[in-house]
Amino acid sequence: MGEVFVITSGKGGVGKTTTTANIGTGLASAGKKVVLVDADIGLRNLDVVLGLENRIVFDIVDVTSGNCRLRQALIKDKRLEGLHLLPAAQTKDKTAVSPDQMRTLCTELKKEFDYVVIDCPAGIEQGFRNAIAGADKAIVVTTPEVSAVRDADRIIGLLEAAELRDPKLIINRIRPKMVRQGDMMSIEDIIDILAVDLIGVIPEDEMIVITTNRGEPVVLDQHSRSGQAYRNINRRILGEEVPMMSMEEDGFFKKLRKIIGLN
Amino acid sequence: MAYSRGNSHSDILSGFGQGLPLDQEDLVDENTILVQRTLRSGQSIRYNGNVVVLGDVNPGAEISAAGNVIVMGALRGVVHAGAGGDEKAVVLAFKLQPTQLRISNHITRPPDNETPDADHPEMARIRDGVVTIEVFQTGLNDRAGVGK
Repeated sequence: MGEVFVITSGKGGVGKTTTTANIGTGLASAGKKVVLVDADIGLRNLDVVLGLENRIVFDIVDVTSGNCRLRQALIKDKRLEGLHLLPAAQTKDKTAVSPDQMRTLCTELKKEFDYVVIDCPAGIEQGFRNAIAGADKAIVVTTPEVSAVRDADRIIGLLEAAELRDPKLIINRIRPKMVRQGDMMSIEDIIDILAVDLIGVIPEDEMIVITTNRGEPVVLDQHSRSGQAYRNINRRILGEEVPMMSMEEDGFFKKLRKIIGLN
Repeated sequence: MAYSRGNSHSDILSGFGQGLPLDQEDLVDENTILVQRTLRSGQSIRYNGNVVVLGDVNPGAEISAAGNVIVMGALRGVVHAGAGGDEKAVVLAFKLQPTQLRISNHITRPPDNETPDADHPEMARIRDGVVTIEVFQTGLNDRAGVGK
């Protein structure tokens, strides 16, 4: 029996979809059977980030309304054997699916997959209600901005009200230099407010933009810091103890040593 | 599943007149709607006949027609011609770069590695059981165009 994770944030643009794609890809490359579910009906993106947009024939609404069988709507990833995507519908809206239907769907998926990862839409309305309905665990993504942290706090409250206790926190797009200068909220500041377990910190990284546009999740890139951060998160999900990555940027000498191969 | 573009190009260019002549009378009949706007992501047109779009069809937009689909602009979304099973249906666009192209019960998508920059009108149709893309040619003697 698999586990259902929902990736949520409240605020938009903090990296839910990127995180979903990277966690799913990472778990699949560790040999797990994973299905990613795009619950953002009407504003789907996960298919684009995974580079699978042109393979979509049926979507989640076709499944819940009985237009097709679940198996027909699942898209196999082009790189990883164990990775599948259940895409959202683009021409419908959030009301096309009900929380009950999502619960049934998650139960079905859990039977076949080790991990079901749901990409939640921004907001706290029906899309959010649908996305969390069938989830066993929640991962909350935030960025070091007051507004994002405020929304994350609201989301954690709503998750608790829906009996989803102990959500894990991912702090995304942190810039160590700005934190040192006191211009950005630090990890400690955020934990202080939200009081939940931290499962990972992703540094701001240009590679995210590059890999997202290419449709190849950054977790597969062995050289980037953000890819490393996502790999650490995946190992923690799989139950390993991994120390938090140092947020210090590589200094000149460390970079030089890397270049000449003395790592 | 990916459709071929290169082959059919050279077919058409080298062996003129070898392909099936396209009867342009068939392209247009009574049952046609005109969409005078660009279709954006999330918008869809379903019609039991031909569809002509005066504008672009963006990624995330969908056209499904029982007959032919003609886009007087860039076609970047999902298009389905002959949705009722008509194998003779064609898709024609000034810039044919669909996310996915379906004719009757054939489903195709562009090859993963290729990003063709179509700068001329192209037409997709089923030939010998496969979806092929060819340069849209109105015929040497008669350049009057589709809607004569």
